[in-house]
This record gives sequence, structure tokens and C-alpha cells, in this order.
Amino acid sequence: MSIWGMDRRTWLHRANPVIKLAVLLLLFTMTVLTHDIDFVIYQAVIFTICLVLLCGLKMWKILLFALPFLIAFVSSSSTMMLFGRGETIWWEWGLLRVSEESFYRGLHLGFKGIAFAAEGLLFVTTTSSVDLFYGLMQKLKLAPKFAYSFMASIRLLPMVWEEFLIRRQALQVRGCPPLRGVRGMIKRVGMYAVPLLAQSIRRAHRVAAAMEAEQFNGEHGRGRTYYYESRYSVYDLLIVILLTLAAAAAYMCASWYPWFGIGDVRFD
Amino acid sequence: MADLLLLQADDAEELAGAGEADSEAGQSGPRPSVSVQDLRLKFPGDTPMLFRDLSFQASAGEKVLLLGPSGCGKSTLLQVLSGMIPRVIEIPMKCSEQIIPASWAYVFQDPDTQFCMPFVDEELAFVLENLQVARDDMAGRMKDALDAVGLQLPELHTPISSLSQGMKQRLALASALLLEPEVLFLDEPSALLDPEGRKQIWEAVRSVSADRTLVIVEHRIEEILHDVNRVILFGPDGEIVGEGRPEEVFIKYRKELQQYGIWHPGVWEDYRAAASERSAVSRGFSSVSEGPAVGVNPGAGESPVLALSQFQVLRKQRPVVTVEEASLYPGDFTAVIGHNGAGKSSLLLGLMGLLPCTGDYRLGGEPVVFGKKRRERKMREHALRRIGFVFQNPELQFVSETVLDEVLYSLVVDGRSQEEAIQEAHECLAHFGLSGMEGRHPYQLSMGQKRRLSVATAMVRKPEVLLLDEPTFGQDARNTFGILELCQELVQAGTAILMVTHEMDIAQQVAREIWEIGEGRLLSRRKPEVDR
Repeated sequence: MSIWGMDRRTWLHRANPVIKLAVLLLLFTMTVLTHDIDFVIYQAVIFTICLVLLCGLKMWKILLFALPFLIAFVSSSSTMMLFGRGETIWWEWGLLRVSEESFYRGLHLGFKGIAFAAEGLLFVTTTSSVDLFYGLMQKLKLAPKFAYSFMASIRLLPMVWEEFLIRRQALQVRGCPPLRGVRGMIKRVGMYAVPLLAQSIRRAHRVAAAMEAEQFNGEHGRGRTYYYESRYSVYDLLIVILLTLAAAAAYMCASWYPWFGIGDVRFD
Repeated sequence: MADLLLLQADDAEELAGAGEADSEAGQSGPRPSVSVQDLRLKFPGDTPMLFRDLSFQASAGEKVLLLGPSGCGKSTLLQVLSGMIPRVIEIPMKCSEQIIPASWAYVFQDPDTQFCMPFVDEELAFVLENLQVARDDMAGRMKDALDAVGLQLPELHTPISSLSQGMKQRLALASALLLEPEVLFLDEPSALLDPEGRKQIWEAVRSVSADRTLVIVEHRIEEILHDVNRVILFGPDGEIVGEGRPEEVFIKYRKELQQYGIWHPGVWEDYRAAASERSAVSRGFSSVSEGPAVGVNPGAGESPVLALSQFQVLRKQRPVVTVEEASLYPGDFTAVIGHNGAGKSSLLLGLMGLLPCTGDYRLGGEPVVFGKKRRERKMREHALRRIGFVFQNPELQFVSETVLDEVLYSLVVDGRSQEEAIQEAHECLAHFGLSGMEGRHPYQLSMGQKRRLSVATAMVRKPEVLLLDEPTFGQDARNTFGILELCQELVQAGTAILMVTHEMDIAQQVAREIWEIGEGRLLSRRKPEVDR
């Protein structure tokens, strides 16, 4: 678990998770609705900077988390570049056609992905699930049954992983030959899924019974007291201002120092 | 709920006797704090009725132990008594009268599935939140509960995953205490613990049980026997066979206890008597009572089937367990003991080629080469065919849809022809008492059958060495002795067995040599102390 542990506490850790969630949902919406390539690139750059400064993780961990998103960047943008529609053809070879429009759109798509990743990681790396659900229960009146079932299921994940490792060893001992091809892959998934699911369902049932035995009433949270109080603080205001400023900065940079200056990249 | 159950009127008459005996016994206390009268309960499906007109009551402050063979419904009865059935777990049931205690708490068997939060304080807080305790009072009550069960932690905010299994069970007991229960239901709380943890959980239970009613289901009973007032013995069909003070029950019903395979104070003596009788009759010599039978004397020019010298098992490039010198001869039965995390399982995984190792490791004279090259891997795989391995949880090692295919698989992987393999598989299943189950799904077998099948899949290839990882863990006496008998048979046929176990009893009673592992190495190899 140490890989998820924070290395230092930042403003973002102190902010209320509900506020953080709301702000980041707004940022997500903004990124989705952006069609200007310059704005998206600046968003990607600025939120990545925010991530590095505010997530409280060591650099190598950030790079590790960012790795899948870099792969997504390459795959999504290159697909769009090679197969997207466009009129100004730069290069053509069989099915592959790189046009000016598709090239920019590919780049746009890739950077959009990076911007999403940075925003998402900003939230995920600075919020513990327990804090989030306590916040949601107290501030947004989420029914405790949802909150606690999520928290309980997160606790069960490492056990599933452990069992996965044992299953792998067991298959090796039984002498299961490596299965090749798509069929082999499907068969292999089944060989892991059935026993792991069977164990997990039983385990989940036992946890549920134990929670009920501890007098848990999941239907309504009225009168429920909370061990962690979810409070708003000055950090919430700081975070709102900071992230709004970041978005505004991206917008202004895009209009003052555009890299491409081609405006809307959509194909019409 | 009750209407779901349709019964025939004459069902009630059959067990009328049991009901009467009960109500007499129940009159000992002033006021029952928990009771149920004429309970009938049936699981959905074609299964027979679990309880027919069962009555149970416990008076305030009484400590009652429920004993019975696996599957007789003891745990189900606890859930009925607490009202969990049918309120939470929807199973059709019916009774003429029931008193559900005003306040009760429950401790379950599995230490890993009783908690919904990641940290100790959060878990305890979950209970306090449910009770609507004010936030300021929480920390104090948590400390009191942890003190009561003797769980000293450096701080409240400790990850539950860093606790040992025994500590987890005491934490479960602490959260049960927060409910300030009048009645405490304990559903095999020590079944999945090592001896150390078992001792501690029962000490904790003892210290908190003063004026509480306790209803306990447990199959390992040495630790609690002296603290219970009444023992109730269930038969395999969910009926009450007898009850009374512990010392009376264990004398009066010894035959039944033996027959149902329930742990009781004389269980090992009975086992030994039965074992020597059996082998005397069937083979003309006794393996258990007269000591070494076959192959145990290595002097006679016999070569070891497994030999280790300066052998190290590595995890993350660091040695986790070191064996300077050790060997197994055909027909050896060796128990590997040691504390949790001492490296017992790592040793087994290393021997099985599942963890990287260094040093000298020979199987039947053939060296096992380590290394990742293709040729080395092939050679290693060839050498390792001499070993069979049985995992702790049988379900995780099943690969087929039917019992027959499960055994066939091992043979086919070994390169046997189909017809030959089918023949052998049938013989093997018959030998392990699984005839008639060929078409069943492995998951549909009972606990004991699953275990036998897992041993069968390893043994059908006729390995010279069998490694077992805690095969008796969490099993009742019947299954435990079933496994041990199986091992004895294999040993007599010349297989060398290396078995990791937590149970000193098993190590002392049935093994011929004990390897003790601690501080990351094989500390000692010795003969069991019990004179047989």
C-alpha cells in the first residue's frame, strides 16, 4: 500500500473532498467542451504542473501513475492522425491518410486525454476514500448503505489480489500450459474469474452479515453520528480560487500566446 | 416469512420427545435471556429440513457450548437466536415462541471478513456511529473496549491489515463489546487461528464474559471447556442428542462424539486406538503405535528422495528461509512447524519451484537447477514432477468442471493417453472415497471431499514427495483425521510427506520428524516427543 501513501501534505489534502469533487467535475466539463487546440494544450500543461506541485507524491510515483496516460496519448492521437478525415492531405499510404485536419485533431485528442488525466489524478492522489464517503454522507446526504458498502469493498480488493497470486501459482503447479491466442486468453480469464468470484461473493456476504450484526442500519443516516466530521475550511476557498485561476490562466495563455491558432478543430 | 414454509402435521410428532427434554433442562435459570421454541427451518431447494421442532434456551449469565458435526446447523441456530435469520438473511423459518435478546453481539469465524473499514479506530467508530454515540465520547469507549480484550496498540489509528489474525479476532470482540451486549454469540471465533491466537481470544472472551450470556459454537474446545456451564450435542440431522455439564457430556456421549468426528478431550487417544486397530487388522503391522514402519531407516543404503544442502528461498532477492542440511526418505512423514511468517510456506513454495532459490536441491538424486533460461526451466520442470503439492484452499487449485476431469487433467498433462488416464482416474477416485461423484462440479463437494479431491489430483501422478500447506486448517475433527489417515496410507505406500502445520498435536502425534522453522532458517530437526 505504500505506493499510494502521500509523501507530503498539501492544500489539496486539507480541502473538503466534496468541494474538491465539485470543482474537478466542473473542470472535467470544461475540458470536454473545449474544442480549441491551444486551450486544451495549455490546460494539459497547467494542470500537469498543478499535479506535480499539489499531489504530494514523489516525482517517480507521479511518472508511474502518468505512464498509462502517456500510452493513451500516443495511441489515441496516432489513431486519429492516421485514420481521421480531412481535406489537406499531407501523406497517404493505403488505408493510412494523414491530413492537416486529422493531425491537429489527433493532437487535440491526445492533449485532452492528458488534461483529463491530470485533473483526475489531482483528485485521486489527494483524497482518501474514507474521507470522500464521510464527506458525501454528511454534506450531500448520501445513504450510509452506499457509502459503507463502497468502503467495505475497497477493503476486500487486496484479498482478491492475494488470491489471484495463489491461483496463478496453483495453475502453474497443476501444469496448466500457457494458453495462446484469443481462445486461450478467454479460457484463461475464465480460469481465474470463476474461483475468484466464488470466493469474493462468499466473502462479501460474510462482511454484510457482520455489518448487520454490528447494528448497521443503512437506509437512512438520520441521527447517525460521525467519527470524522466533514467540515468546510479556508482551504476549500483556496482550492477553488487556485483551480479557477489555473483554468483562467490556460484560457488566457491560449488567446495571447497560441501555438497553432487554428481555433475549433472539429470537422464540419 | 413463516408462511413460506409448508409442513405436514405429522412432522411435528416425530420429534416431540426432544422438545420435552429441552424444556426441562431450560428451567434451571431464572429467566431465559434468549430462547426459541419448536423451531423449524429449511434452506431453499430440495434439502431436507435442517431443524424440526428444535427448542433452545439459555438463562441470563449462562455459558452454553453447542457441539455437533459440520453441517448440523449450529451456526444457523446462532443466527436464528440473534434474529439475523430471517431479518437479514432470508431463510424460511417458523417457531412457536421466541425471545430475541434485547442487546446482543456476534463474533464470526473469519478474521478477514468482519470489518468494513481499513483502520482500527474507524472500524470501532463504525459501531459507535451505528449506536449514535456522540463524537467526543468515541475515543474513550474505543480505548476501554480494546483494553477489555487485551489488545494494546501503539495508537488507535492502526491499519487492520497490519494485525495478526488473532489480534483481528480480538478487535472483532472489542467491536462486539461496544454494543454492550447482554448475550454474546461466538461462531467458531478461533477456528482459523494459530494456537497462540486461539489462547488469546479465549482469554479475552473469559475476561469479558462475567455477567453475560454466552452462546458458543466451536469445534476446537480445549481452551474453553472449563468456562462453559452447559454443553449441547447436536446430531448430524440438526437434532439435539444430549446436553449437560461438560464433564458429564464427554463421558456419557463419547461414542457419539467419536462417531460424528467432534473434538473432545480424549480425541487423540481414540484416534490412536482406532489407527493401530485398523493397521493391525489390515496390514498385520502397526505404523502408529510401533513407530517407524517403512523406509524410515535411511541406513540401509536407501537414498533420500529429497535432499537439501545450503538451500535458500528468496523473495525480492533476499533469503527468507535457509536450510543448511535436510533430507526426506521414502515413507517419511515430516511436519514443518513455526510461527506465522517464519517462512514455512515460503519453504514449500521454494521446493515447488514457485519462488527463486539458491543452493543444492536434489530430488531422487536429480539436481533441481535454478535459473530462468528455457533449458534450465525444462530441466527443473522435469525434476519437479516428483513432487505433488496441495494448497491450503482446495478451491483455488481446481481447473475443471467435473470431479473426473479434475483428476484426468493431472494425468493428461503428464502425457498419459486418454483411455489409460480414464481407467487410472476412476481407480484413484475410488481410492480417495470419491466414487459416484465423478460428474459433480468440484465446488459442490463438501469440505472434506474437496480436500480429498485436491490430494487425489496431486497423488494420481504418483509423486514421490507430497507437500501439504496446512491441510487441516479450519477443519473439524472428522476431516482432520480423514486427512491424517490418508497421509498415513500414502506414507505406508512409500510416499514422503512434508506437511506445514500449526497444530502441535498433529506434529507430535502423527509425524515421524519435526522441522522447526524460525528466524528465517531451519532451526532443528527432531523426533516427536510423544512415546508411541
